[in-house]
Amino acid sequence: MNIFGFRISPSSAINLDNVDKERFRELCRIEPDAVRCMACGSCSATCPAAGFSGMSVRKVLLYLQRGKEEEAFKLMSNCMLCGKCTMVCPRGINTRHLILSICRIYDKEEKK
Amino acid sequence: MREIYLSGYNNFVLPFMIGMIFVLSWCVIGAARIILQLTGEDRKKFFLSLINPKIMAKNVRDWFCDCLFHVKLWKRNMLLGYMHSSIAFGWFMLIVIGHIEVFLYTPQRVHQIWYPIFFRYFVAVTDSTMKGSFFFFLMDFFLLVILSGIILAIIKRARSRFFGMRRTTNPSITDLIGLYSLWCIFPLRLLAEGFTADISGGSFLTKSLNMVLHSFLSDQMNMLPTWWAYSIALGVFMCILPFSRYMHIPAEILLIPMRNAGIKVTHARKGYAKLQVYSCPSCGVCIDACPMSTVKANTKDTTVYLNRQIKRYNERRIEEISDKCLLCGKCTAVCPVGVQGDMMRIAQRSVRKYKLAPSYANIDENALLERCNKFVNTSNNTVTSDRNQRVMYFAGCMTSLTPSISKSTAAILQKAGIRFEIMDKDGGICCGRPMFMAGRIAQAKEMIEKNTAIIKASGADTLLLSCPICYKIFKEQYQLEGIEVIHHTEFFDRLIESGKITLNGSDTRYVYHDPCELGRGCGIYEQPRNVVRKAGELVEAEKHGKESICCGGSLGSLTLGFDKRKALTENALANLTIASPDTIVTACPLCRSTFNRYSDIPVKDIAEIVDEATRKKKR
Amino acid sequence: MKEIVVIIGGGIAGLEAASQLLKLGYSPIIVEKSDRLGGHVARWNRLFPDMTPAQDLVSELIASSKDANIFLNTEISFINRLKDSYNIMLSNGISIISKYILYTTGFRLFEAQKKEEYGYGIYNQVITNADLEHWFNTNKDDRISGKDIKSIGFVHCVGSRDEKARNSQCSKVCCITAIKQAIELKEKYPEAEIYCFYMDLRLFGKKFEDFYTKAQRDHGIHFIRGRVSEVSENINGQVIVKAEDTLAGKPLKVTLDLLVLMSGMVCNPDSTKSASMLSLPIDSDGFLKSSDNVFHITSSPRKGIYYAGACTGPKTVPETLAEARSAVLEIHSTITGEAR
Repeated sequence: MNIFGFRISPSSAINLDNVDKERFRELCRIEPDAVRCMACGSCSATCPAAGFSGMSVRKVLLYLQRGKEEEAFKLMSNCMLCGKCTMVCPRGINTRHLILSICRIYDKEEKK
Repeated sequence: MREIYLSGYNNFVLPFMIGMIFVLSWCVIGAARIILQLTGEDRKKFFLSLINPKIMAKNVRDWFCDCLFHVKLWKRNMLLGYMHSSIAFGWFMLIVIGHIEVFLYTPQRVHQIWYPIFFRYFVAVTDSTMKGSFFFFLMDFFLLVILSGIILAIIKRARSRFFGMRRTTNPSITDLIGLYSLWCIFPLRLLAEGFTADISGGSFLTKSLNMVLHSFLSDQMNMLPTWWAYSIALGVFMCILPFSRYMHIPAEILLIPMRNAGIKVTHARKGYAKLQVYSCPSCGVCIDACPMSTVKANTKDTTVYLNRQIKRYNERRIEEISDKCLLCGKCTAVCPVGVQGDMMRIAQRSVRKYKLAPSYANIDENALLERCNKFVNTSNNTVTSDRNQRVMYFAGCMTSLTPSISKSTAAILQKAGIRFEIMDKDGGICCGRPMFMAGRIAQAKEMIEKNTAIIKASGADTLLLSCPICYKIFKEQYQLEGIEVIHHTEFFDRLIESGKITLNGSDTRYVYHDPCELGRGCGIYEQPRNVVRKAGELVEAEKHGKESICCGGSLGSLTLGFDKRKALTENALANLTIASPDTIVTACPLCRSTFNRYSDIPVKDIAEIVDEATRKKKR
Repeated sequence: MKEIVVIIGGGIAGLEAASQLLKLGYSPIIVEKSDRLGGHVARWNRLFPDMTPAQDLVSELIASSKDANIFLNTEISFINRLKDSYNIMLSNGISIISKYILYTTGFRLFEAQKKEEYGYGIYNQVITNADLEHWFNTNKDDRISGKDIKSIGFVHCVGSRDEKARNSQCSKVCCITAIKQAIELKEKYPEAEIYCFYMDLRLFGKKFEDFYTKAQRDHGIHFIRGRVSEVSENINGQVIVKAEDTLAGKPLKVTLDLLVLMSGMVCNPDSTKSASMLSLPIDSDGFLKSSDNVFHITSSPRKGIYYAGACTGPKTVPETLAEARSAVLEIHSTITGEAR
C-alpha cells in the first residue's frame, strides 16, 4: 500500500546496536593492525581500483565496523592487490593481507 | 672364483631383501601415482620427452652430474661437493662393480639380487682369479672413498661451517634413523669383507684390516653376526628411506626427466609438486640462501621446512610458511636438486578458499585505451606511420610512487627521439603479478586479458616496462604476438649500443643490485651492468647476480609486516655496500624505495643515472 | 671559582640557557657545530602566533649570552665520565672538565626527498617549509620567484606520523607553521587558491585556533582532510596532487603551481651519537629520553646531565625557551645544594 506516492526507504543511518561485531573481531584476531587506521586516505588516493569501483581500504574498514558490509564488498570488487596501499600507509598496515583476510572471513551470502 | 655355498643363500640376506623389495615397490607405486596425477597434457609431454634423443641425452647428463657428482654442490663448496659425491658416486660404483663381478665370475647367480651385495661371503678366490685383484682394488678404493665421505659427514654434523654452511636443517627422527643406518652400512661392510678377505680376496683395505685385526677377524664365530649387521643396516636404511630425506635419491631420478620435459607445478600437492617435495634432500642450502633467515625466527620458514610440512600434511604451518615467503626465488636458484620453492608456494596459496572474489568485468578497456591510443588513427582504426618504432611505456603501479623513474625514463626516450606513449599515466589496470603471487590465478588472468586487449589495440610495437614485477608477468603470461616486451635496462643498453644516446661517464662508484624479478625471475643480469659501466665505475656486491639478496620490500610476502622487513633490508644493504660504493643502482621501483628508506648512501634507479649521464654531455 | 656548564648546541635553547647561567654567575661554554648561532630559528622569517621576526629573538639571545665562552665550528669528539664530572674533548683539541652538561642539541628537519612520492628534488614546483622561510628572508628561490602562482598546496605531516619514514611521532608545530606560511603566501599572492592537506589539525597552543579561524575567514584558505599520496607533473610545468578528500569520501585531484612540504622535526643523529658515548637512553622516536615525561623533562637519568628544547622531542619556541630556563634552575639548585 503506497498511498503517499513515495515509500519510506530503509534507514541508511548507522545503528551500532544492530551491528554484528563478531566478524570484525574475528578479522582483528588475524589482522590486529586493522584498528590502527587513522583514516588519512592515502590508500584511497593512490588506489588504481578507486577509479573503477571506488575502492578504499579506509572506507572498507570503516564500513565493516559500522555494519555496512555489502557496501564494503562493492568497493572491494575491483581490488587488484597491487600493493600500492601497503606502500603508502603511514601506519605500516599490511593492507594486502588485510584484504585477503576479509575475502576469507566475510561472505556475501550469509547476510546478517 | 669358486662358490663356497651351493645354495648361494644365507638367512642374513633377509633384512636386505625385505628392505629392497619394500623400497622398490614403494618407488614404483609412487612414480606411477605421480605420473597419473599429472594433467593429460603434461603426461603426454613427459612420455614424448622420453623418446626425444636430445632431451634423453640431457637427462643422462643430469643424472650423472646432479645425482652422482653433485656438480652444483661442488660449485658451492668443494668439501660439501666431495662429501656428497663421494658417497653417491662411490656407492653407485660399488653396486656397478659388484654386478660386473657377478657377471664375470658367477653368471649363474645373476638373478639373485642379493648376490652382488654380499658377493664376498659366497665366493672364494682361486689361483685362476688373480685378475680379479683389479676389481678387488676398485672395490676397496671406492669403499675408501665412501668412508672418507662418511667421516666428512660426521664432521659436518658438528661443524657445518667448514662446509660453507652457516645453518643446517634440523633433522627429523626418521632422518636421524636413516642417517645413522647409512653411516653404519659402510664401516660394517668393511668389517664384514675383512673377515672374508683371506678367503674371498680383497685389496689394500680389506686385506690389511684382516691382518691388523687378525685376532677378532680370524674367529669365524664373529663373522656371521657382522654380515647380519651389515645386512640389517642396509635393510633399516631402505625401510626408513621413504619416510626420510633419503627419499630424494629415487625421487630425483624421476624429477630430472620431468623437469627436462618442461613440466611446471600446477597442482599444490599432486604430481610434479609431490615429486619436488620428495626430491628435497633436506640439505639446508636454502636456509643460508633465504633472505629472511637473517632473522633467526624465520629460519624455519624456508623451503626445506615447507617440504617437510607438506610431507606431514601440517596445514597450519604450510600456510604460514608459504604466505611469509618473499618469493625472491633464491632458494630455487641455489637448490642442488631444483626444487622450486617460489612456485611451490604460489601453488599452496592458489588452493586457499576465499568467499569473496574480485572481478574486473565492469572495467571498460576502451575508456582506458582512449587515454593512450596515440598510435591509432581513431577515424579508421589504422595504425599511424608504420615505419617508426612505437613504444608503449607501462610505468606500473609502483613507479607512480617513485616519479623519478618515470620522469627520467620519459626524458631519455625523448632524447633518443623515440615515439612513445605512457599507458598508465592516469592509472590503469595492474599487470596482475601481485595477484598472481597471492595465488589468485583466475583474477590475475582476468587482468591479463584486459591489459592484453588495450595493448593490442593501441597499435604499439614495443611494450616498455620499468618495473621488473610487471616485466616478469608480461614475459611469461601475456600473449602479445608481434609486440616486443622489453625492460628499460635492456632498452637503454640497446639505445647506447645503437648510438641513439651517449652517456658521459663519471668516476662515481656504482653498485648494481639485481632485483629478484629481473635477475632470477627473467635472467637479465648483463644489460643493466653494461649500462652502469657506461655511466661510471661498476663495483659488485658480495653476493650478486643469481645470488643477489632481496631488498625485503617484495610484494611476494603476504604476511611479513612492515616492521619485520627492516632487518632484511639492512642485511641486503650491508651486502651491497661491501665495496663501499657511492651510489646504489637498482632497476626496480620497489627496491629503490625500500633501500632508500634505510640507506646511508643515495639509491637510484638505472633510468636516473642514465638521464644524468646524458644530461652531462649537453653542458 | 665559577662553576663551568657545558652547553652542547648553540640554538635558542643553548643561548637562553647560557644567558640565564650568566645571570646566576656561572660560566657557560657553548659548543656549536655550525659557524653561526641561533640554530633553526635563525633561518626562520617570522614566528607564530605574533609574527615576531625570528631575527629579533635570535639577536636578543645572542646579545644576552655574549659573555659566555662560545666555540663555533666545533663538535664533540668524545665524552667520558670521570668520578663526579665529565671530560669533554672538542674537535678543536680543547678538552673541558665539567660537572654539568646541558644538551640543547635540537632536532633535524626531515629530508623531504626521502618521501620520493612527493617529488622533492624531482619536480621544480615542490619546496619545503624551510625553503619557503628562506625565500621569505632572501627573496631568492628560482622555484618561486618570477612565476605566475595561482594555486598553492601545503602538505602537512611530511615525514612525521609516518612509520614508513621511520618517524611515528607528531612533529607538533607543522600544522600551525603551515597555516602561518599559507597566510604569508596569501598576502603575497592574494589571487592564489591555497589548499592545506592535513591528516588531523593539531592546533593546541595559545592563539593557534585564532590563527586557524583567521586563515579560513580572512584569507579563504581551503582545508582538505586527506593525506597526499602521489604527485605527478603535467606538460605545463605544474604538479598534479592526488589525495582523498576523506570528509567527502571521494578521491581528489588538484593542479598546483607550488607545493610546500611541511617537513617535520626528527631526531638529531648527532645528539644520538654523543648520547651513546655516555650511554644515555634513547626513546623509541629517536629523541633523547628524559627521566620522565611529566615531572623531570629536563633531567636525564645520569647525574649532571640535563636536556632542554627539541633534543627530547618536537617543541615550539616558547616551550624551548621555558625548558632552557627550567634546566638552568635545576642546575643551579643542584650546584647550590652541593655547595651547602
